[in-house]
Amino acid sequence: MPRLADMKLTPFLLFLAAITCANAAPLKINGSTTVNLPVAEAAEILRAERHLDIQVDTQGGSSGGISMLAEGSVQMGMSSKPVSAEDQEKYPQCRFHSIHIGEDAVALIVSKDVWDNGVRALTKAQLKDLYEGRVTNWQQLGGAHSQRIAFFNKEPGRGTWEVFVHWLYGSPKNAPQVSFPEVGGNEETRGKVATTRGAISQLSASWADGKSVFALALVGEDGVAVQPSAENIASHKYPLSRPLFVLTNGEPTGDAKVMADFLLSERGQSLVEKHGYLPLNALVK
Amino acid sequence: MAALLGVFAWQSAPVWTQEGLGYITGTKWFYRQHEFGALPLIYGSMMVSAVALVLAGPLGVGAAICIAEYLPSRARFAVKIPIELLAGIPSVVYGLLGALLLRDWVYKTFANFEPLSGDTLLTAGILLGIMLLPTIVTLTDDALRAVPAAQRRAGRALGLTQAEVIWHISLPQAQRGIGAAFLLALGRALGETVAVFLVVGRQDNMLPSNLFSLEPLLAAGQTLTSKLGGSEINIAYGDPLHWGAMMGLGLLLLSLTVGSALVGTLKRSGDA
Repeated sequence: MPRLADMKLTPFLLFLAAITCANAAPLKINGSTTVNLPVAEAAEILRAERHLDIQVDTQGGSSGGISMLAEGSVQMGMSSKPVSAEDQEKYPQCRFHSIHIGEDAVALIVSKDVWDNGVRALTKAQLKDLYEGRVTNWQQLGGAHSQRIAFFNKEPGRGTWEVFVHWLYGSPKNAPQVSFPEVGGNEETRGKVATTRGAISQLSASWADGKSVFALALVGEDGVAVQPSAENIASHKYPLSRPLFVLTNGEPTGDAKVMADFLLSERGQSLVEKHGYLPLNALVK
Repeated sequence: MAALLGVFAWQSAPVWTQEGLGYITGTKWFYRQHEFGALPLIYGSMMVSAVALVLAGPLGVGAAICIAEYLPSRARFAVKIPIELLAGIPSVVYGLLGALLLRDWVYKTFANFEPLSGDTLLTAGILLGIMLLPTIVTLTDDALRAVPAAQRRAGRALGLTQAEVIWHISLPQAQRGIGAAFLLALGRALGETVAVFLVVGRQDNMLPSNLFSLEPLLAAGQTLTSKLGGSEINIAYGDPLHWGAMMGLGLLLLSLTVGSALVGTLKRSGDA
């Protein structure tokens, strides 16, 4: 009951706070839409429980997060890529402090009949053939018997799709335009692949359950097949993954520190997991 | 209404200046090459709606005849109220049921035709047909009930059987109202988004070489609404031409749904 009352009062208190002490500036956060999902939910919780004034935005994605942090227009950036040497060169005055909050990995999942047909791993070249429609039968990709490929493409614009084409073509802009049936959310993707013969799609690795859908290994240049296991994702042996960061200028202080600590806490990490990413404790094993 | 059309027309102006009429007749949609042809989407919407009307039309009119002409009025209300409730069920409920049950049913039933998956134009059409059925039944029933009872009695007095009365007196007189029911249902079919989105497959550029072939029914496709409902709109934002193309789809959709609903409503009110 008191919590409910608090929640109802929150906007009012914020309003009061805003007019009484003008120097209580809000914590502004900006950057990657991928990282935004758990961070925005964390901000909601902190607003309700700690009465913090937090504004989360996603202008310009990861690069927007980095540049706005460096220019001082936000106090925290969100990024789904590490801050690069060029970024540091561009903004020499900024002491980028990266806080790793989780990992986003993409698995290529197939239906049970494909798995049973003996397809367990794909190379980059094979995936390109598949994506560009040059192969249409699993036999061409190592299946024991003839079976049509039903490729469900993750909707362009989704983070999962971007990780996939980024790895395959270097950048989403270089990816060829293709027309496949498209799938959106993780639940939909898993459901459709599980119930369709010869199906394959891209899916956040944490959703590949190994019961209804099966994650393929990726064969690297050295010919070694790498499973999308937590260890391989953590060590970056598995190529289809990217780290998720929040960034501050120097060690976080004040509200930014509250946010960073919350994201690393058990509750914060459960939000990371809830949105389909790997929490930190899944990475160190 | 005019303002709404105006906003869409204005927002989609870039694509009309770039593609001209080719926007409607073009068969390829490759946004990164800035190629926007909406014909496969219009085709998808039309096919899905056609399947829905072909399935729900005869069934709906049959059910309405049974309700309006054969049932005593108490029983009529007992049947009509639940039907009108069915017409009001949110479409996402139908969509989820379709995704759960209908996809697999189509996939298994038509296995001989080797569909690549259960997401097909046919699935979307059947699902829409189920959604439209209550609308068609209740509007057709209204149209039949609007035919004066005295005319039926006169028919019977002249020695016609009840079936002959229905065929020669009730149906011809209710014709306009039934036509209106179909047009209103068509408007709903064209505009339906969520349910179609979940089962149509959302595959671009699926225009068959033969427009009257039934084969593409068992392939995935894309409709105006499923395109607009997807995440492409997020990519389009910030690119005037791409955004214009998406808004152009809105304009096409609006014209089609408003057109059929308007004609339907006019017919209906003209009938009353």
